[in-house]
Amino acid sequence: MAANETLLWVIYDIVEDKARNRVAKACKGKGLYRVQKSAFLGTLNRNQVDELKIMCEDLINCKVDSLYIFPLCEDDFKKVKLLGQAFDKKLVSAELLAKFF
Amino acid sequence: MITPSEVIEHLFCPRFTYFMNCLNIPQHEELRYKVQKGRELHSRREKENKEYLRKKIGCVDKELSVYVASPVLRVRGIIDEVLTFTDGSMAPLDYKYTEYRDYLFVTHKVQSVLYAMLIKEVYHMPVLRGYICYARDGTDLKEIIYKPEDFKYAVSVVNEIFNVILMGYYPKKSSWPNRCTDCCYKNICV
Repeated sequence: MAANETLLWVIYDIVEDKARNRVAKACKGKGLYRVQKSAFLGTLNRNQVDELKIMCEDLINCKVDSLYIFPLCEDDFKKVKLLGQAFDKKLVSAELLAKFF
Repeated sequence: MITPSEVIEHLFCPRFTYFMNCLNIPQHEELRYKVQKGRELHSRREKENKEYLRKKIGCVDKELSVYVASPVLRVRGIIDEVLTFTDGSMAPLDYKYTEYRDYLFVTHKVQSVLYAMLIKEVYHMPVLRGYICYARDGTDLKEIIYKPEDFKYAVSVVNEIFNVILMGYYPKKSSWPNRCTDCCYKNICV
């Protein structure tokens, strides 16, 4: 992970299918990994986080929907406990990708 | 002639001038969501509430989206609003789709200074100050009082850009590595 990038969670509860799909598409488009149906995780730089925030703001209905963007430091990410069908932590933190390039 | 946007890009990183003006590689900024939002804001501003005058700052008249060009300065551009005040002076007003910060970005300041120089030359009126309206999450109006050294600096930046274009040399990249992470030319910049 580069020095100016942050790990972040995007978690949402969106009523309308169309808006929900569009938010998921926006998250994937920014390179985040789908951890659960309504939870994305990945590394983004400051401008990408800001852009994602504006995109999601335009897509959701602020009166009924909710969307959280949680930044997470690397030390805390290492403390994440995974139970059941776990996601690949190395892929999310771009450790695996770094090995390819 | 160059535009103040090109000056902003040069101040962000001098290599933008090389890639855009010497190699003619477009940066495709229109694909960026924030740029699209900014353009939307500008087109909405042209249509909505055209007659609104900012009386709080003493404005008595305004012109919207004014195209000004100066062969002497070698700069051309469209000023969002040209304001006229009671004392006969004029000022440029520029809209920005950015969050308001406590400090003023050098890029925004230089752009405003260049607009001021263009107004001075075209309208032959004194331009003592400029305004920037930050239109993200509400509106914030920031005033810039011009100093003589601001004009000198703006002219030196324009000269620097023309040096790169005319001589075609590969300038040094920005000394801020943070700027490279989200740069559209990062794949070809060595």
